[in-house]
Amino acid sequence: MALPVIPRGEMPPDETLAFHKHVCPPDFGGPNPDPLNPDLILSRNLLISIDLLLPENARVPMWIIEDPDDPVNGRVFPSKTIRIPRGALVNALVGCEGGTHTIHWHGIEPTPMNDGVGKHSFEVDGNFVYQFQPREAGTYFYHCHKNTVLHFEMGLYGLLIIDPDVPGAPFTDGGPGFCAAFSPATNHVIPYDVEAFWVADEIDSRWHTLGHDDFMQECDPENPVDPANFTQDGFLNDFRPDIFVVTGIPRRVNNPSPFSAADDPLFGPLVAPALQAGQTLLARILNAGYTIQQFTLGIDAEVIAMDGHALGVPPFQQYSSPFRLPAGTPFRLTTAMRHDLIITPASPGIFPVTIEYFHSVSGRRLFTARTAITVI
Amino acid sequence: MKEIKRRDFLKLAGATLVLAACSRGGGGSTEDQSGDQSPTGQPGAVSFNFRITEALVEMIDGTLVYSWVFEDTASGQPVLPGPVIQAEEGELISLTIENGLRENHSFLVPSAPGSPDVVDFGMIAPGEKVTKSFTAPSAGTYLYFDPLNAPVNRVLGLHGAMVVLPKTGNTPYSVPTPAVQQLFNDLGTTDHFPKHALSPAGWQRDRFRIWLMSQVDPAFNALAQSGVIINPADMRDNFLPRYFTINGKSGAFSSHDHSVVLSGRIGQPMLVRILNAGLFTHSNHLHANHFYVTSVNNVVRENVFNIDSFTISPLDRVDWLVPYIRPPDIAGDPDTPLRELIPNELALVIGGDIGVPQSPLVFPMHCHVEQSQTAAGGNYPQGTVTHFEFLGDIDGVDFPNAGG
Ligand SMILES: [Cu+2]
Ligand SMILES: [Cu+2]
Repeated sequence: MALPVIPRGEMPPDETLAFHKHVCPPDFGGPNPDPLNPDLILSRNLLISIDLLLPENARVPMWIIEDPDDPVNGRVFPSKTIRIPRGALVNALVGCEGGTHTIHWHGIEPTPMNDGVGKHSFEVDGNFVYQFQPREAGTYFYHCHKNTVLHFEMGLYGLLIIDPDVPGAPFTDGGPGFCAAFSPATNHVIPYDVEAFWVADEIDSRWHTLGHDDFMQECDPENPVDPANFTQDGFLNDFRPDIFVVTGIPRRVNNPSPFSAADDPLFGPLVAPALQAGQTLLARILNAGYTIQQFTLGIDAEVIAMDGHALGVPPFQQYSSPFRLPAGTPFRLTTAMRHDLIITPASPGIFPVTIEYFHSVSGRRLFTARTAITVI
Repeated sequence: MKEIKRRDFLKLAGATLVLAACSRGGGGSTEDQSGDQSPTGQPGAVSFNFRITEALVEMIDGTLVYSWVFEDTASGQPVLPGPVIQAEEGELISLTIENGLRENHSFLVPSAPGSPDVVDFGMIAPGEKVTKSFTAPSAGTYLYFDPLNAPVNRVLGLHGAMVVLPKTGNTPYSVPTPAVQQLFNDLGTTDHFPKHALSPAGWQRDRFRIWLMSQVDPAFNALAQSGVIINPADMRDNFLPRYFTINGKSGAFSSHDHSVVLSGRIGQPMLVRILNAGLFTHSNHLHANHFYVTSVNNVVRENVFNIDSFTISPLDRVDWLVPYIRPPDIAGDPDTPLRELIPNELALVIGGDIGVPQSPLVFPMHCHVEQSQTAAGGNYPQGTVTHFEFLGDIDGVDFPNAGG
């Protein structure tokens, strides 16, 4: 007896073009359609191909987003951090070469054309001026949102930090600076001395030989969901990382050596921070990979913010409060989640920090990254 | 005499979530029920009848995948996920499950961790029909599934959502925490949550969506079709999802299905009830608004985070309150109507003849573990994704084309 068929859904005739746009966004470029006078102008280009150097002297091809105004550190992985004072009206000049891309300012919430998602606006052909005005200080990130499964994994992302609008902002990576946190007496802005970035990611080497549009669907505006348009040979559902990364510093799966400040002149001190007893460390943590990441600190910490919003701070975070994370208490982040932690060590010591990576389907532990907070 | 009052339910084709047909006793609140007799003879009772059966389920790329599914015996139509069971806290639910397949099946509704299950049918033998009565638990979002040979029977399709509404109050819960109560009190009554000019203040209890997420690895479905009893360890170790669904739909279909899409105007908050029946750990990300996590696994949250991405693990039930505020980082004066601030964007059609208007304002919700955005190993973004649309401004003036 024939089995009944449950259909995949319906495409009403008047939504055919919207279905088409879902997989085949239009190209667009030029000035912002509704331009305002900017307080701050920044530039980013994509994509740039670089090689990530492994300790074994092997190389992995990466794609990054370039800061064309920084000839020294403009081409790094993760892509160069953007820092903006809260409230600044930003014009971001984005240039694209060798195919279309977008930039999504993750956690920043502007209009669709400034949100950088192709299927809700366009993919940038040539250049475009994104415009937004961040209203909450905290930890965000930016990334390409085209064929995101591949482009994000290839390295097209960087941290985006909104600093409080206090004198000295934007601050320098590594500290000192000020951040938003629950503190009614100081207008919810507190100082920190040293800043750590734990941006955890993984690399599946097989994916890093692919081209921009690999395994994408054929475009047919008349019948965008024709089964014949779908590719059937992709493996972007099958993530098998063999290299594990903390803020750009890589380790092969079989290399257990700790991540140290000496690993990289730029990112090493952000991964393995050092401070004096009595000073304040702000750790910005982002899951920029595709695994479940579990963080465990060997020192007490306080979780002060999530996803760019400081816990307890009115009006929007008044329903939450910061909370203490006793030493040894693990917490898990999945992709795109950010936690900001404040650590105030009272006495010297070397306090371990581990990041365990678990597969998103099997739950198996794939790797353990070890670094440390050094208190002198 | 007995009159079966059937709730509206959606037709099979094109519908994502089907509300279970139910016969309701005399304790209900609607006026046209006078004279109704509950089938169980009790006021305030509601009954549902499901059959466990098999069907071919069409994936987004046209592939047909054999699945185990529920069918509402009132409609005779198999659906995936199973029909939504909706009830009010304290109602007596009479549920009949018939096993139309060749192996044992079951039906379980877990509650909060450490609390007794809402209902557990034990073993239902092939051909057997079992009826159980239970009281609708505390208001919230529940997952039902077949727990036998876990996770196999559930992942092959035997899962669905149960929604329990509270008797009273302005929140989705029977006993909200102080933080959740304050959040719902503030909707439409405070400067940071202004209400839409033509809408009442507060969350309206019919403004919710269910996002029941699951995944399909057709290799295991093929084994089931051939009659093999799948080893659960084999599934846990080797499950490689090839299709990722919300309410059984993927990609462009889940993005245009009106039972999935978040739709509203600025100042019309909406609740999302998210469940994960599969084996993939999702990380759902909403653009344009940070949401509030109000309940996790039937525990109403004490500490209510306002965030943009959140973990949805296998078997999780997570509620988000989407405040539907104006996207806060739009450049320019927050008090200027958007039709004055972004007139050109609202008027634009990008893409020439085959373009789609930029108005109304539409954003995505997608899982950020981006493998879930694929179908058949590529074809981005044809997986776990849907729309979050803003039809009109706070002052009651809709954006162009919002009428549809
Ligand atoms: Cu993102
Ligand atoms: Cu996104």
